[in-house]
Amino acid sequence: MTLTPETRGRMTITLQGDALVLAGAIDETAVLHELPTRAVGGRLVLDLAAVTFINSLGVRDWIRMQASAQKTHLAVELRRVAEPLVHQLNMIIATRGTATVTSFFAPYACDACGLEQSLLIDAIVNAERLVRLDPPPMICPECQAQMAFNDFPERYFSFLV
Amino acid sequence: MSPVRASSILIVHPDRKTQRTVHRILGVTGYRVDVADDVEQAMRLLAHMQPVLVVFDGALISQGVTALVEAAKAGGAEACMTLLGGTSIDQVPAILGLGAVTNLLVHQMPVLAEELTITAQKLIRNDLFGAEKYLLWGTELHETTLVRASQRSEVVGALAEQVRRHGQSARVASMAMLVADELLSNAVHNAPIDASGCHYRMELPRNRELELDDRHQVRMRWGCDARYLAIEVNDRFGSLDRQTILGSLAKHDVRESGGGAGMGISLAYRSCDHLVFNLAPGTRTEIIALIDVRYPPTERMPASSYNVFVERPATRKP
Repeated sequence: MTLTPETRGRMTITLQGDALVLAGAIDETAVLHELPTRAVGGRLVLDLAAVTFINSLGVRDWIRMQASAQKTHLAVELRRVAEPLVHQLNMIIATRGTATVTSFFAPYACDACGLEQSLLIDAIVNAERLVRLDPPPMICPECQAQMAFNDFPERYFSFLV
Repeated sequence: MSPVRASSILIVHPDRKTQRTVHRILGVTGYRVDVADDVEQAMRLLAHMQPVLVVFDGALISQGVTALVEAAKAGGAEACMTLLGGTSIDQVPAILGLGAVTNLLVHQMPVLAEELTITAQKLIRNDLFGAEKYLLWGTELHETTLVRASQRSEVVGALAEQVRRHGQSARVASMAMLVADELLSNAVHNAPIDASGCHYRMELPRNRELELDDRHQVRMRWGCDARYLAIEVNDRFGSLDRQTILGSLAKHDVRESGGGAGMGISLAYRSCDHLVFNLAPGTRTEIIALIDVRYPPTERMPASSYNVFVERPATRKP
């Protein structure tokens, strides 16, 4: 089921299937702490692929949302987490709450053609290697060469450990 | 009568090759350069010298370096900076925790030489302001002035667009947005103080509109020289002080809970590669964030540098 996007400041929320799709900038106008009231059957699923930015006030609101979900024993699933949010999950432990990250974007670069791209990693399928801080191999969508992980694995995957 | 102590720069590093390299870099300042292998030797030297600058190795953090920092400060040292190589990166939290190191440079050679030279020259010349010092000659700086608080989101969005249009990656644009937003928010809401030192806009909701008069206007400049993207934010209050900055950088609860004052500074520091604070107390605060755009990013260091410079009333010459 897809509904019309609801706008909150510079962010939109759209219900798509079982997930709330957040898009745009998460800042002081996002009112994220209200999202747990949208949970269905004790589950709150957030699709975060289109989040472009989160500032410190957005982070505070995000932590309040996680705390509220924890208090009401909601299972929070974070899908297709965009890089700006991964950075926050790595920098601030409280942003992780008890949420499960099922997939996330990560930076890759192609040595052959120089392309830099954010690629989706399935955190369930690759769980074993991610715990070993071993980035899954990726093929360059432009030249088909092997791409290299474009950050420090010990830093970028720390939110999973 | 006590003997006159000679002005010099003191290098404290156990590695002979690094001692020589740093000596060559700092020798051009015109100051005499003294070298010590360890903290104990440095403390002995400090008794006989007037240091303008003490440069010590981050790995010495476990060898009572706090006493050295204090002794250097008492002796009139302008700053104590730490050089960190790849093997010393795990010392960064301990150095931040000290809350006393005003300059931390985290680079391998030859980048370290550039950063060290700029830092030393700024300290010695007492010429602190301007992102130009960190960018190659000829780099254009784009300027915007915020005349109302709600402009922040437009300016941040426009910055990201322009950074992308200048050929930088989404990662760089995203870091630029975060850093610019935090620095602008800090300048609009935290910088203004009244005569009693009260930060009268600090508690105002960030989404409340504020018209900014001349004194409250905030200037942002940015430029990129294909090594660094520099974002510079200026306010005209000069209310940010050294201890607040070092306290914010040292805060553990930002990482644990995301809470507390100073979160913006801490996030900005962790989101760029080098954060520079230029402070003219009561007059002006300038913060410059440098994002390393060299390719590939994994050749950079997984920790950030910072400098806290405070303008002196008079310049000391070598």
